[in-house]
Amino acid sequence: MELVDIVLSLIFLSILMSLGSSRLLQLIRVMSFQGVLVPLVPILIAPQYQPMSLSTAFASLMLLIKGVLIPLMLWVAWRKIAIRREVEPLIGYNASLIAGLAMILFSVFISSQLHLVMDRPGSSLLLPCAITTIGAGFFLLMARRKAITQIIGYLMLENGIYLTGAALAGHAQTHYVVEFGILLDLLVGVMIMGIILHRINTTYDDIDTAFLKELKD
Amino acid sequence: MTYPYIFLLVVTGGIVPLFLLHHFRLMRLSGVAGIGTGCFIGFVCSLTDLLANTARTMSWEWLGLLPLSFRIDILSAFFLIPIFLIGLAATLYSYHYLDDKDKRIRVSVHYFFLSLLIISMALVVMADSMISFVLSWEIMSVASAALILYNYDEKANRRAAYRYFIFSQGGGLFVIAAFGLLFNNSGDFSLVAAEGLPQGTRLVIFLLALIGFGSKAGIMPLHAWLPYAHPAAPSHVSALMSGVMIKIGIYGILRMYLCLSPDANTVGPLLIILGAVSGTLGVVYALGQHDLKRLLAYHSVENIGIILIGIGVGILGIAAQRPFIALFGLTGGLLHVWNHALFKSLLFMGAGNVLHAAGTVNINRLGGLMKNMQNTGILFLVGSLAICGLPPFNGFISEFFIYIAGFNGAGAGLDPMPFLYIILAVLSLAVIGGLAVACFTKVVGVVFLGEPRTNAAGSAHESGWAMIMPMICIGITCLAIGLFPGFFSMPAVTVSRSIIGQGAPDIMAILSFCRSISLGGAGFLLFLGLLICMHRLFYRNKQVAYAPTWGCGFTRPTAKMQYTSTSFGRSIVQFYQPVTQVTEEYKEIKSLFPSPSAYRSHMVDRMDDWGDRYVGSSVEGLCKRLRFIQHGFIQFYIAYIVIAVIVLLLYQLVR
Repeated sequence: MELVDIVLSLIFLSILMSLGSSRLLQLIRVMSFQGVLVPLVPILIAPQYQPMSLSTAFASLMLLIKGVLIPLMLWVAWRKIAIRREVEPLIGYNASLIAGLAMILFSVFISSQLHLVMDRPGSSLLLPCAITTIGAGFFLLMARRKAITQIIGYLMLENGIYLTGAALAGHAQTHYVVEFGILLDLLVGVMIMGIILHRINTTYDDIDTAFLKELKD
Repeated sequence: MTYPYIFLLVVTGGIVPLFLLHHFRLMRLSGVAGIGTGCFIGFVCSLTDLLANTARTMSWEWLGLLPLSFRIDILSAFFLIPIFLIGLAATLYSYHYLDDKDKRIRVSVHYFFLSLLIISMALVVMADSMISFVLSWEIMSVASAALILYNYDEKANRRAAYRYFIFSQGGGLFVIAAFGLLFNNSGDFSLVAAEGLPQGTRLVIFLLALIGFGSKAGIMPLHAWLPYAHPAAPSHVSALMSGVMIKIGIYGILRMYLCLSPDANTVGPLLIILGAVSGTLGVVYALGQHDLKRLLAYHSVENIGIILIGIGVGILGIAAQRPFIALFGLTGGLLHVWNHALFKSLLFMGAGNVLHAAGTVNINRLGGLMKNMQNTGILFLVGSLAICGLPPFNGFISEFFIYIAGFNGAGAGLDPMPFLYIILAVLSLAVIGGLAVACFTKVVGVVFLGEPRTNAAGSAHESGWAMIMPMICIGITCLAIGLFPGFFSMPAVTVSRSIIGQGAPDIMAILSFCRSISLGGAGFLLFLGLLICMHRLFYRNKQVAYAPTWGCGFTRPTAKMQYTSTSFGRSIVQFYQPVTQVTEEYKEIKSLFPSPSAYRSHMVDRMDDWGDRYVGSSVEGLCKRLRFIQHGFIQFYIAYIVIAVIVLLLYQLVR
């Protein structure tokens, strides 16, 4: 049992937990947990661990942003505006869990179809995990009503992209550059979403995105 | 050589005004200086390119897989000239035309889109690959739609821009479809002569492209955006759009013809028929208009028709292996591209002066403007004479070339069918010319002569120098082309010779004609000068009394006693009853002491009407039925994207 496999299994667990959680605060905690796990993966799959390398620095910075900074911002937003603390799903929790399991199967299928040659540890789980994370991110975007859960969906989507990058690029340094670009976008996105959330909240007394329907022409 | 720098200069001229909102004069100056200088240098560069007659290429990769390549050959250079020249004139004109300080934000935004439009038009004609072509084409469409929206506070203008947008996007789809089909068959993105395509495929691709480019050029059934967009846009934008942008459609047709070389026996007659329909109906509909800019818009349709007739006759000449007909037809059509760019922008600028001075372009509310706006009046007259194809102005030259081609074809030795088409071309040209004279007699007579019909028209004033100067330059160019056709038609001759390819006749064939035209023109001007001198001489020391126009001995003549635009055009419009429909409402005057009466008439553009009734309404019905897709739920929109991605992914994996 490699360490990577344990981490990846934990990520799977966090995905299912996020799909099953009914409280916003619980969801934010799960995301923080996932945010801590995900940056560890590239370090763990590297052939040998170099404590003072650039990738360590990147990973720790990533961990700080994903595991601490963004959850903290979400928490602040939650404190400010969440009147009703439920997640308010469009698709129920049990159905979401089953959909999550189906997604895992689906991603295993896709990974096997892709025929990628990988000779690193954790190779059997890494790509399925990455694709499941992307899928679950999309699922959260689609199946949850509140704007704050949509941010979390984007966050998970980004985690998935990060994992895919790690799976495909391995320990090449260049993918960190791309990754940081995306992360920066996400960070700005979270901030803007925070502002918009506030606006939606003051306009409609709720952060339910279904109210945005009224803006339709 | 320097085109990227020119574009940079033009874009700078478009962007700087956005930051100078609080210095209105400086803002306009910077816009005019940047765009104008860029256009001027561009004009000089393209002129040297045209005269040097060599192809140059620039290219770079975009995203690693899409080649963005540009190439300037003689056809591109030929179309670059009007783009930069009219671009320069329109930009100069805008300095005094857009002098409303309250609208400073939209003026600055207008400069941005104006620069974008000029650059994108230049890029379209320089494009060498489908990717760069479509990219520039779409930028051009969007920029021009934004410019039409300049007076967005009126609902009619917003609808006009919307209508234009539909037409340009629909046309763009056809262009993309044509390119897609071509790419599918040839396997690369280049627009150079395609090889190894079956004749049928070539024709299908060409027809798709013809629909796409025709909607931009305003060929008759697809012209329905022109009469709405041109009145809505600011006058110099109308000048640029009508003078240059619709010619980009002609460029596209020519480029596709060169690329595909479809069956000339089909394409030539098709273009002649389309041209004849557009030309005749365009001018007939123009006669029935009361709005000066709308009228000019219909004349654009007419002139596109003339250009198409010329090109069609040329292609027919190629098909019949009669290089003489081909040369004169193509040269006439191509030269008319330049000529129409010149005189139509001159006319639109004249209309802009009228709008600026009198506040309206409704012909029936104007009159007598020649007295207060002499410069505008004379320049408008020059433009009118040129567009009617009267010597010694430039319109005459290009139409005369097409006539020569036609008469040569009619002379002898053609098969019956091509002969019939040639006759059709000549006849429709003759009808177009006659009706155009009638139409512009109406415009000049009602707008500039006679007595002012409203106070606004009576108190009109001459426009600023920035509006008059470009018009004078264009007017002089019109006269110069008319007087020295040999010199000015050389580029068009070279381009047509390159289109004809082998067996093209010598330039001398045209030069000999041009010499006699020059001689005739010079003789005419001499005669005119002589007449003026004699007039001066005879009336010297004689008392001249001035009385109101159309006074005719009445003691109290009123402005209402004049011909109106409606009454002038009525009989001609009614003659074309099946394709025109005039709805009139008025109370007939019966008794000796009649009550107040009013007359109102409106002419229906049948083509437009049918398009709206049959195509427009069915599309609208379809869209209404698809409305449920747009429900406003953000979650479902994301779901659409995800499902599309997953389906594509699975398709690729399972295949």
